This record gives sequence, C-alpha cells and structure tokens, in this order.
Amino acid sequence: MQGVSKLQRFLFSSVTLRILSITTTLFGISIFVFLVLRVIPGNTITGSFGIETGMLTPGQIAELRHYYGIDQSLILQYFSWMKSFLSGQFGYSFSTGVSVMKLTKSALPVTIELALIGTILGVIMGIAIGMFSARKPGSFRDFGGQLFGLLALAIPGFVLSTAIVTIMANVFRYFPNGFEYMTPWENPWVNFQQMMFPGLVLGIAVAAPIMRTTRSALLETVDKDFVRTAHGKGVSPRKVQLRHVLRNSLIPIVTMTGIQFGYLLGGAVIVEKIFALPGMGRQVLDAITKREYATVQSSVMIFAIMFVTINVCTDLIYRKIDPRIK
Amino acid sequence: MNLRKKIAVMGVSAALVAGVAFVAPAQAASKDLVIGITLDIDKLDPQGATSFATVRALGLVYGSLVEVGPKLDIRAGLATSWSFNSTGTQLRLHLRKNVKFQDGSAFDATDVKASIERILDPANKAAARSNLLTIKSVTVVDKYTVNLDLTIPNVAILAALDGVNIAMLSSDDIKAGNVGKTVNGTGPFKFVSWEPGQSVKLVKNPTYWGSAVKLDTVTFRVIPSESSVLSALNAGSVQFAVITDPLIAKQVGSNLKKYKTPALAYMALQLNAKKAPMDNINVRLAIQCAIDRAEVVKTAQSGEGTVIGPITSPAYRSDPNDRPCPKADIAKAKAYLATAGYPNGLTIKSMVAPTQFATASAVAQSLKAQLAKAGITLDLEIVDDSTFISRWLAADFVTSIANNGGRIDPDTMYTRYFTSTGNLNKVAGYSSATLDALFAKGKSNGNVTQRRAAYKAISEELENNAVWIWLFSPYEYRVTSTKLTGFIPLATGSLLELRKADLK
Repeated sequence: MQGVSKLQRFLFSSVTLRILSITTTLFGISIFVFLVLRVIPGNTITGSFGIETGMLTPGQIAELRHYYGIDQSLILQYFSWMKSFLSGQFGYSFSTGVSVMKLTKSALPVTIELALIGTILGVIMGIAIGMFSARKPGSFRDFGGQLFGLLALAIPGFVLSTAIVTIMANVFRYFPNGFEYMTPWENPWVNFQQMMFPGLVLGIAVAAPIMRTTRSALLETVDKDFVRTAHGKGVSPRKVQLRHVLRNSLIPIVTMTGIQFGYLLGGAVIVEKIFALPGMGRQVLDAITKREYATVQSSVMIFAIMFVTINVCTDLIYRKIDPRIK
Repeated sequence: MNLRKKIAVMGVSAALVAGVAFVAPAQAASKDLVIGITLDIDKLDPQGATSFATVRALGLVYGSLVEVGPKLDIRAGLATSWSFNSTGTQLRLHLRKNVKFQDGSAFDATDVKASIERILDPANKAAARSNLLTIKSVTVVDKYTVNLDLTIPNVAILAALDGVNIAMLSSDDIKAGNVGKTVNGTGPFKFVSWEPGQSVKLVKNPTYWGSAVKLDTVTFRVIPSESSVLSALNAGSVQFAVITDPLIAKQVGSNLKKYKTPALAYMALQLNAKKAPMDNINVRLAIQCAIDRAEVVKTAQSGEGTVIGPITSPAYRSDPNDRPCPKADIAKAKAYLATAGYPNGLTIKSMVAPTQFATASAVAQSLKAQLAKAGITLDLEIVDDSTFISRWLAADFVTSIANNGGRIDPDTMYTRYFTSTGNLNKVAGYSSATLDALFAKGKSNGNVTQRRAAYKAISEELENNAVWIWLFSPYEYRVTSTKLTGFIPLATGSLLELRKADLK
C-alpha cells in the first residue's frame, strides 16, 4: 500500500503534472504548426521556383515533390521531421543547403541577445517610470509617466525603428547595421552599436506594460498595513519604497516581464528586418515565404520551448520572491 | 542637480556621443563594393535561378553566349559572332577563344553543348528550358564552333541565349554533378562564400576574358527593408543598391547617384477569361474603358512609370493608345456592361499580393476607386506571395494584379502565355488560332520590319479582346555612392556592367 501511495504521490506531484502539461503543450503546438503550414496554399516548390513553377512539367513537379519529401503521407512527413527535430538536426533547409540546426545556431543567439537587451532596458525604464508615477498618483509626474506608457504602446515598433534608422543615417550618417553583423565575441563594440537601437526600440515597447503593471501594483501595495507600520517605525521613504512596497509588488512585474521576454523572442521580426539583424524572426519569415516547412516548424518549436522554459523560470522566481508560494 | 546626478548625466551623454561618433566596423577598403539587397539569394545553380537576387549575384559569376547591351542590342558574349542558315532553322555560333572557367579549365564547344543539353533535360528543372525548346540538337563543329539545329524557323532564339539562366557551365562540372554545389563560371567575379540570410561574397576574376576588372570584391549584403538599404547608402556602409519602391527612390538625396531606367517588367490587371464573368468580352472591355492608366501611375506610383500596351520589348513596343479605349471612358464602360447583361454593375474579385511589388496595394486601391465609377466593385483578396503564386499558377482567380517580367524579344516574353501550348497559357486564360499563327509568323522571320508587323497584330488582338489590362512599366533605380564610377545600368536588371565600374 505504501508503494502505491508513493507512486500516486509521484504521479500527481506538481513537477510531474508540470512536465506532462509542457509535453502536451509542445506536442499540440508541433501538430498545429505542421498542419497550418500544409493548409495554406503553396508549397516548397512554389516557394522556391516562384512563377517559374508554371514552366515545370508534371514529371519535374513529381520529382521535386519527391525531392522535398512532400509526396509522402502527412503522418510520415510529421514523424520524419519530428525524428530529425529530436535528433538535434531540426530538419533540412533546401534553399540554403544546410541543416536547420546550423541556421538556428547562428540566428538564435542574435534573437536571444536582442530580447535580453530589450527586456533589461524595458524593465529598467518600466520600473523606474512606474515608481516615479506611483509616488504621487494624479500629479503632473504621474500624468507624464502615463503619457509615456500610452505613447510607447501606441507607437508601432516599425515606425520608431524606421524613424531612428532614417534620422541617424540622414543627419549623422550613422547606420552601424549596414555593416556586416558582428557577434559579441567577434567584435563587442560593433555588436553593441548594432544592438543599441533595436534594443532600445524593443525596450520601449516592453517598458510600457511593465510601467503600467508596476504603477498599479505599487498603488495597491502602498496602502497595506505593513507599509504604514514601516512608515510609523520611521523607516526612510526611499527604503520603504524599495524594500517594502516594490519587493511586495514584484510578482505581477515578474509575470509581465516573463511574458514580454517570451514575446520578444518570437515577436522581434519587424525590428530584426529594419535593423538587418540575422535573427530567428527573419529566419522564420523567410522560411514562411519559401514554404520551407522544416525551418518554420523547428523554429516555432524552439520559440515554444523557450517560452515554456521562461514560464518555468518565472515560477521559480516567484518562490524566491515570496517564500509562501510552494 | 547634485554631483552624483551630474556624473550620471555626463556618463550617459558621453556614451551616446561615443556611439554616434565612432565609426562602427572597419570601413570597407576602397575597391570593395557592398551591394544592399532586400532578399537573399536562394540557390547556386545559375540555370535554375529565378529570384532577382540570385540572378543578379550569379550573373556576375557566370557568362552567357550573347549579352544584351545598354541599348538592348544583342552583342557578343562567349560567342563572338553568329549566323542563321537561309531557312532560319540552324544557328551557327563562333565561340570566344582563350576563355577560362574560374577553376582554370578552358571553355570550348563541348561546354556549350553540355550546358544547353543540361537546360533541355527536364530532370534539371532549368528556368529557361521553355525558351530553348525549339532546339533539336547541339552539334560541335570544331573546338570553337557550335551549331544549334532548330525544329522550326526561330530567329528569336538568339535573344534567348542571354542571361544567367543560359549560363555556360563547365562540362566537367555537369558530368560530376557539381552544378549548384560549387560555383565555377566564366564571369568577371569569382564566388567566395554565401552566408545564408547575411551575405554573398565575390572577388574579382583575374583571368576574365574582358578588360581587367577594377573592383577587388563585391559583397551582396542582405538588408531586408528598402528604407534601411537607403539608410545604409546614406551612412556609407553600402555603396550600391537596386531600389524598386518609387517612394523610397524619391528620397535619394544629392549625396548619392541615382540611375533611373525604364524596366521591361510590367504591371497588369490579369483577367481570367476562362472564368465568369471574365469570359464575357464586354465585361473585359468595360474594365478596360473604366481604367485610367495615367491616373494609376500618378496616384499609386507617384508618377514614376510609363503607360504601356502589351509589348514592352523596345524594338517592338506596343502603342499604348492602340486599343478600344485609349483613355478612360466611363460612359462607354457602362454601355459595355449593359451589353454584357450587367446594367447595374457587378462585383469581381481581384487577387493581390502586397509583397509582390512595392506599390501593389496602392495600384489595387487605385483600380478599385476607378472601377467603382463604372459600377464595378473590385473585391480585393489580399494574399501572401507564396499563396499568390500557387493560386496564380492554378489559374484560381478571376482577376489578379500582377508584376510580370519583360524580355527584349516579344517571342520569349509572350509565347509561354498566349499560345495555346504555352506553359503559362492556363494562367493567361486566353488563346486563339489567330494568336498561334501570329506568334509562329513572328519567330520565323529575321526581318525586323516583318516581325514588327506580326507583333503589332498580336498586340491589337490582345487589346481588342481586352485579354488583360496592361497598366504601366515601372522604373528600376540603381542608387550608388558618388565614389562609384563607370557603371552602366541595363534594363534587363543585370549588374554585369559592374565589371567596368571602379570605386574612387
């Protein structure tokens, strides 16, 4: 009986359930992406040959279907790709002639770096402006903070990106992204310059929801008894703000940051395009245009895995912030 | 402001100034040309190249038998001279001597035979195969002479021998199955590397048969947005770009050089005459009469384009006014609609891919507004590129707004569309015995005057039946640094003349 109880405990433990839930989610995503790509018109042949597909004979098209592996049944195609994905090759990119793993190896660090910079800048700006606003709700400074939040939400990233690129190039003759992309290991100074503006654009987009979340959370916490007690004990206002109010408001801020970071990993397509950064966003966009199934499927799976990982990390941070959460 | 704050502000300001003031990476050496491209190349097989980026990049590495010059004249390439027999069924080509492939092997008649036979072999999926289908056999006469025997008289085939899709490959590479894996041409530049999604690097070919190439290297760098490409040109990180968006082209300042060339490509409202209501000639004529092409150019293209008829090949160009409705005539359009049985107007669908060309959406909106005046509602179906191509090839549309490539010879431009056996006839949606006969007449005769008569008749047949609504030809803009000299733009879109360019 004791053995069964241990098994039950294991089966229904939060970790096991979490792993099960993650696996099911990822499996669902893999099926969804796989099917969506095949439902939309076009295939790898039209993606590769464009209108010249019309010049191909039926025999040539049959050969190409075989070459691209799209003459197989959907089930075979799915398992063939999944096998390749799990083996770490992620499938094959026909247009570039290399494995999707090789493409991802160079594109993923760019996107992660960009998302990290964007998130760090966003968190710094968002929390600072949120605190600044919440200090005196309804005041002019609060109006200013909220105006920033509204503008940052309202101005699309592509407009801000294009404006920065155009102004910097036309006025200062400065556009570091026009040069060959450099990784931080190849040339950290050039990399910094190439990441500075796209990071700022993404940071502003991330800062807006974080600012609004911070402001709301702080205003909710500031009326709590322990804050009044701290004030009553003569703790300085700055210490009360940082140690008592901000710390106890962190959970919604961390949640929002996690969501935004996950969003940036997959949503920086336009910024990557305008700033000519060879990241995952561009990889997926190009692959969708060319109907390179394996590249799109594997890239989306990588995004999904990262998103799930970030969620798990966010949960772990909750426990650190608030020991009451188990 | 206390001291701490002052230091912080100064630190931030210094960092910003430093970021702006310091030139980013090492500036390119003076003879290294960087070309900004919005799309990456997609393959290394020149005979299978279809995207503009691939055609332009590989066009600098490979050579073809003939070349199209700046005045769209056919001139010597790897063939120095040629002649047709009296019946126009055999073309004899005399080849250039002392030409070497980039691997050091010599170019001769066996390479020509192997290259053309590779194009004709359906297994190789060559993009230009349909243009060479009248070649019955290729015979090596001697080391530097080749005969092309044709199934029918076809003088138009000479123009079909230009371009990267007819690239001359090494027979050894073909035998070894290396084409598309290694790059080995006879062009002015040698292939160095391809970093997918980032760049293609070329270096000058010291053994090129033409005059010595002045540029040391050419790098095609992928910058996916045209406005960013222009920024890179302004900042000096890129020295050359092809711009297609007229609005971006208008922003080019005096710090750069802009070459504006009328393109052979054309925009058309394709009508699928195999589908109702486009199978009714009066509906098609009503659409023709309702559209003011000059207005489309003015509103959608900011005036940057030329109103055209069907044929854009310079020697055979159609008169754009030679059609039932040379100017917009709403009353006539309504009369045609009434005759067609739609006195109260009708709704037609139109497929458009906004990413197919820069002003596609604007052209669609302009047409929609104009057709509405005649009681025709244009219901726009917005789709992505790949969907557009897939549906277009399946003729799964009633009308579509298309950006089609032009050719210097009308035979290669339209045989595939408007002859009953053409590969794209299903897409064109129209063929007739008259058109078949006229196309056969056009290609059988070497006399330009007689050919002109045939293509004028073809143009009239297409316009009188309102097969499609030909709208305008855009311009191609090559924008370069003022330091680039000696470059001559070609209307074919080829960048081959970079072989004569220099960076001062």
